[in-house]
Amino acid sequence: MNVVQAVLSGALIGGLYALMAIGLSVTWGVLRIINLVHFGLILISAYLTFQLATSWGVDPLLTLLVTVPAMFVAGAALQWLFDRLAVSEFNSLLVSFGLLIITIQVAANIWSADFQRMTASVNPYATASVSLGRLVFPVTTLVAFVLAGVVVLGAHLVLRRTFAGRALRAIAQDSAVAGAFGVDHRRLSLVLGGLVGATAALAGAVFALSNALTPETAYEWFGIVFAVVILGGVGEVTGTLAAGILVGVLSGVVAVVWSPATAPFVLFTAIILALLLRPRGLFAIGAVR
Amino acid sequence: MRRGAIPLFAVLLGLLALAFTGIPSFYLVLLGTVCFWIAQATSWNLLSGYAGYFSFGQAAYVGVGAYTTAVLTGRHGVGFFWTLPIAALLCGLLALGIGAVAFRLGSLRGEIFALLTLAVPFILAAFARINRSVDGGQGTSVPPPDVPGWLGDFQQFQYLLAVAVAGLAVGVAFVIQHSRTGSALAAIHDDEDVAEVLGVPTYRYKMLAIAVGGVLGGLGGSVYALQIGFVTVESVFGLMIPLFVIVMAVLGGRGHWLGPVLGAVLIVTLQDRLTSYGLDEWNAIILGAILAVLVAVAPAGLYARLRSRPLLALAGFVVVCGVLAIANVWGEELDWIVAGLLAAAAAAVLVRRRTTTPVPTPAAAVDKTDVDLPAAPLGEIIVECRGVAKHFGGVHALDDVTLDIREGELIGLVGPNGSGKTTLVNLLSGTFRPTAGEIRVGGADITTLAPHQIAHVGMARTYQIPKPFSSMTVRDNVATAIVFGRTPVSLREARPLADRHLATVALGHLADAYPAQLNLHQRQLLEMARAIAANPKVLLLDEALAGLNPAEVDNAVRVVRRIHSTGITIVIVEHLLRVLNQLATRMVVLDRGTVLADGEPRAVLSDPEVVRAYLGRQAHV
Repeated sequence: MNVVQAVLSGALIGGLYALMAIGLSVTWGVLRIINLVHFGLILISAYLTFQLATSWGVDPLLTLLVTVPAMFVAGAALQWLFDRLAVSEFNSLLVSFGLLIITIQVAANIWSADFQRMTASVNPYATASVSLGRLVFPVTTLVAFVLAGVVVLGAHLVLRRTFAGRALRAIAQDSAVAGAFGVDHRRLSLVLGGLVGATAALAGAVFALSNALTPETAYEWFGIVFAVVILGGVGEVTGTLAAGILVGVLSGVVAVVWSPATAPFVLFTAIILALLLRPRGLFAIGAVR
Repeated sequence: MRRGAIPLFAVLLGLLALAFTGIPSFYLVLLGTVCFWIAQATSWNLLSGYAGYFSFGQAAYVGVGAYTTAVLTGRHGVGFFWTLPIAALLCGLLALGIGAVAFRLGSLRGEIFALLTLAVPFILAAFARINRSVDGGQGTSVPPPDVPGWLGDFQQFQYLLAVAVAGLAVGVAFVIQHSRTGSALAAIHDDEDVAEVLGVPTYRYKMLAIAVGGVLGGLGGSVYALQIGFVTVESVFGLMIPLFVIVMAVLGGRGHWLGPVLGAVLIVTLQDRLTSYGLDEWNAIILGAILAVLVAVAPAGLYARLRSRPLLALAGFVVVCGVLAIANVWGEELDWIVAGLLAAAAAAVLVRRRTTTPVPTPAAAVDKTDVDLPAAPLGEIIVECRGVAKHFGGVHALDDVTLDIREGELIGLVGPNGSGKTTLVNLLSGTFRPTAGEIRVGGADITTLAPHQIAHVGMARTYQIPKPFSSMTVRDNVATAIVFGRTPVSLREARPLADRHLATVALGHLADAYPAQLNLHQRQLLEMARAIAANPKVLLLDEALAGLNPAEVDNAVRVVRRIHSTGITIVIVEHLLRVLNQLATRMVVLDRGTVLADGEPRAVLSDPEVVRAYLGRQAHV
């Protein structure tokens, strides 16, 4: 029973990983930018959710009305910056690493390096749970999973079915040639950057619902989120969700069967093996790139 | 003695002597920290700077080195000096392990390698946390060792150790940069596949670079354990270590041994000043900003900029430092020096130089002498292909190709697009391995050899799209190929030989130019010069005339003839049948992966099957 619970809880937590990873995966696969600042945007949104809920007693999920537009603008602004700098794929990793450090330090200067958590009075979701027989699921992970599902489904439909999606895939393959055929690379990538920023707002809010915040958390996401991106296949939205669930289940089961402390060890070892055997991702079949 | 070795040695001795001058211990601590970071940044730079394999995993070496010393001295009572070699050994083995995994796969380059190395410290940190025999997440304190009296007190001892490790690291980097290994790593940095085809055993050199980097990083980590006194997972496996190291190396410049040193000095002193003014919370912001701005504005780093405008930088330093010292309204000596250093760096990076793009001088006199040697008598069979096939999934690029090449031939390899010409060249040069069949060169089977081994058997090739080493001059492009050719020589001996090969292809006047300044024709000639520099028996020219205007084609044909007259067997892939008709001694036609015709050029070209393959079934001849 414990293992069944661990598998299902892990799968639900995998939704949060996927929600964090999808933006990264799309900017990498389509725009050829490895945008580490994405972690910074998630962190700032988490803090904004915390701050708005704590100061004004707003329902944490309603803070999305503020954070989503704010992060849309931030994401688009970042994309504009990357476009202006015209850095290579690899240099984007370095530039965004620098920007991430700045973001995290700014968060630390504003909210201090201590752990911050929404109190139960403003955050009714933290303690609520849904039980199915003897299985118990926290509401927060359900919210994360549903949001991840919606985002992935939406992104998948947009990329596959719409003209804009086709244009984006054309950009991913060769932006110069796409430009020659009349695809407005700049405007589309600004919009895409904004949408990616919006997913960061969702991920941040969900994370703040169930976790205490400290600026250093952003670094802790690195390993697991990149694992999800690479396992899912860079630029593959459905693959990202599948990889998120897989990673969640794997760490959940390892934590129950052995001990929570061994989870990262087993996980990263598994990821390196996967990387060696399928370097383009476990789920990369018809990848965008 | 290399230029720079004596000053380097003098600085090292000076730093060591400084410990006994009674200098305030504050300066010793600061310089010790600078030395720690110099060692780490230099260790990182060997693989990530010289060879271009960017790593986010420097903390793995610092952590393993520090924990080795902490656990052995703190828990098992082992003497500190014994832990140094153990730490170095463990980190060297760890590095070799990472390399053995990562370098086996050609796909683990660039971002994927960087992210893989990012995961390594996470795994090690998790291991340290869960394993009670390491520290179980508690942290381990390092007892101060018994210091021999002549080394002064503990403070001086720490400083001397840090200087020694940094000196060792910089010395190693200096030696490597000026050795064969340095040339090999630079070639890998520019284009790894080309380096391999030119005869550089890339796997071996990458393993060497990562292992030496690991040993140096581990030594530094071991000494670091002593400096901090109490080792925790957070302090040694944290992301701040790779961040610092990357910022320092990118700031200073990655191609030169002095780059990481410059970066470390600047960053550590700046951090120290910020801390002393209570601006700790700005530390990370400034570091991040430096990294982001530098990568976008001056990716080559400070060293290159300082070399090109040393006076400007010196003036910046003297003016700012002098004005502050004379005015004496703010700060103390160290503040003035750091401000001066920053001004010098800013002047070097930000002030735009009037760009004077050196225009390559036109060829003094185009060599029109046409070597029209009598066709050399055909020699032994040198290359044998027996039933060679190459399949990509379901696509049969080549099927059952059987072909002999004799010494002294000049074979034109033709066929419609997609007929498998380039695939055959890739198989002959070892870029791909055949799905079936056997290729022998001089009697030896090459199908299982690595490309650099095939190069040493005597096979050289050029690329359809020229792939010069962009960071080297034209002369050094050719010299590198000589250095790793069949008869190894040093780079210094290779340079005059390179000039001879450049003369053969009529590029002698551009020896000091960089590849970016060459036009397509000149780049293709450079490809040929680099290929013959390895002293091959067989030269494979892949579409060496593509995209040239008629005058350039004539010139290239003359060059090919001249190369052929030196006794090198040539296989040339080309679409211009008119040219091949005059040039080739034999023509081989491929069609849909099989040999359609093979023989004397005129006969082959009038073969109705060949005409049909080229022009379609309806063509009337």
